[in-house]
Amino acid sequence: MSDLQHEIKQLIIDALGLEDMGPDDIGSDQTLFGEGLGLDSVDALELGLAIQKRFGVKIDADSKDTRKHFANVNSLAAFVSAQRAA
Amino acid sequence: MTWICLDRLLLDEHAAPLFLAPALNHATLRERALRLAGGLRARGVQRLALHLEDAGEMAVALLGAWRAGVAVLLPADLQAASRARLSPRVDLWLSDQPGDAQLAELFGEPLPAAALELDATLLTLCTSGSSGEPKLIDKQLRQLANELDTLEALWGSALDDACVIGSVATQHIYGLLFRLLWPLCAGRPALRRALPFPEDIQLASREHAAFCWVGSPALLKRMGDNLDWPALRAVRKVFSSGGALPADAAQALQQRLGQWPTEIYGSSETGGIAWRQGGSLWQPFAGVEIEQAADGALALRSPCLPPNHREQTADAVRIDADGRFELLGRLDRIVKLEEKRVSLPMLEQALAAHPWVAEARLGVIEDNRAYLGALLVPSSEGLHVLRNQGRRVLTEGLRQHLKGHCEPLALPRRWRLLHELPGNAQGKLGQAEVDTLLAAPRPDKPQILDAREQDGEWQLHLRIPLDLRYFSGHFPSTPVLPGVVQIDWVLHLAPGYLTIPPRFVGMEVLKFQQLLRPGDLASLTFRFDPARNKLYFSYQIGDSAASSGRIVLGAADA
Repeated sequence: MSDLQHEIKQLIIDALGLEDMGPDDIGSDQTLFGEGLGLDSVDALELGLAIQKRFGVKIDADSKDTRKHFANVNSLAAFVSAQRAA
Repeated sequence: MTWICLDRLLLDEHAAPLFLAPALNHATLRERALRLAGGLRARGVQRLALHLEDAGEMAVALLGAWRAGVAVLLPADLQAASRARLSPRVDLWLSDQPGDAQLAELFGEPLPAAALELDATLLTLCTSGSSGEPKLIDKQLRQLANELDTLEALWGSALDDACVIGSVATQHIYGLLFRLLWPLCAGRPALRRALPFPEDIQLASREHAAFCWVGSPALLKRMGDNLDWPALRAVRKVFSSGGALPADAAQALQQRLGQWPTEIYGSSETGGIAWRQGGSLWQPFAGVEIEQAADGALALRSPCLPPNHREQTADAVRIDADGRFELLGRLDRIVKLEEKRVSLPMLEQALAAHPWVAEARLGVIEDNRAYLGALLVPSSEGLHVLRNQGRRVLTEGLRQHLKGHCEPLALPRRWRLLHELPGNAQGKLGQAEVDTLLAAPRPDKPQILDAREQDGEWQLHLRIPLDLRYFSGHFPSTPVLPGVVQIDWVLHLAPGYLTIPPRFVGMEVLKFQQLLRPGDLASLTFRFDPARNKLYFSYQIGDSAASSGRIVLGAADA
């Protein structure tokens, strides 16, 4: 697990109040929403805000696939890395 | 735009497409509805449960069922427990879920077009009731038609041909009216699908010269800086309902969009009661007569209720001289989590039915998002799970159990495990105390049951808290009291009973013989030997030693 992935997992746990969970309990390729981790659309909205705030990145609202970045921790880490590099 | 009243939707026809993505025009909608009506009648269906995401399909299903005189039940969700409870009341389930009937397979020989019967009770809404049982609310179509007339009279001209873009489901009265029936009667285009994310709302908005939003606080308070707000200012109106929009969120929208969101206050039971656009006071809709009931709650008569029916809400109210009013919170144990109504008694009963649970009480935690917290008194079986498999197995098991009873958003995220529930003088635990206990951090000290001294030696009876914060890391699946915490407790507790030097110098002859675990009753014995500056301690469970040692102390300035 990279530092960024670890940081994103901790952010998910803190921002969404997931008790009894540690970064190791979230698989990097585990589906975050719906089944999988069992998060809902409000969590997705919150996480979108938290990611933008923590990493100083912007979700491009005119791109058709913005929510694909939120599929799992790997895709979120890739999104944050790409935004930071841009 | 021409208005077609609800009862004439199968007789008259709007020219422009009604539902978009993909387009569905009125002629096709009518034809399908009449074929569904024929199919339902041929099957002898009288009561239909309906749960569809697509507003266009939903419109076909509703009009078809109503044409055939079929009573429609809109379940709030498709959870197993909801289905089991509602199944005796319906003949057929039409939903997106595999195994249920699909719209197309129900089509038959069409019935002739006809007016709908406005005074028939053809709709039943489901919501959470305060007793714990889900509440079913019957509606005559006239009640809906009256509300639609009110909405169009207030805002029809402002909206004109604006495309209706919404984030809420049509299973509930707000989405049903605002995303489906109102556009349908007005001939206003509406998107078939609910769009829960701001980015999708923006994309859809850009595709239309004129548009309006049917949202809820869950969405509207979380629209970020990443949106193209200048482009979105074209929005004709922003509707919000399901719960009050926080003042700062309303203010932010006003600054970004140049208009205040229009909030609707109402419920499944009452239909729309009032609206506001900025400010804290609500303006009752035309024809709605309000008063304050003896218990302080808002009561009303309304064209959206059966004639002469007085409905009492559970919302505390203060009514101003000009007839506007302020809401002061709920008087019962129904809570809203991100606009979803959740009955705390129902979930508490569901929890209590689990063999791991002796008692449970729930409360709302307002964090970044709102979620439930549970105060839990485990049964002996539950305690066994906690001690041998850990906290997460216990709480995750209970969350799994609840999944059959509620939507995922109502699953408690925070748990506080207690030996027993505290009670006030009347033996009751008020909601405020529940909320306080849920907000408090997990304990880091033992509960002291009594303390006795004999010849300079103190013996304290302790209960090791079930939810001691150290257990989560030590160890996640077999919680035991860490030795370092046992020593820390001695140093923390002893000065309350003995005069001892303040400085820790070292440890001698430490022995750990038996584990101390969640819920254990233990005794802690300590005495101080001033000649040697040593604090002797031992923990025991019953007659067997758990641990012991000597702590060497020194004066502060040494």
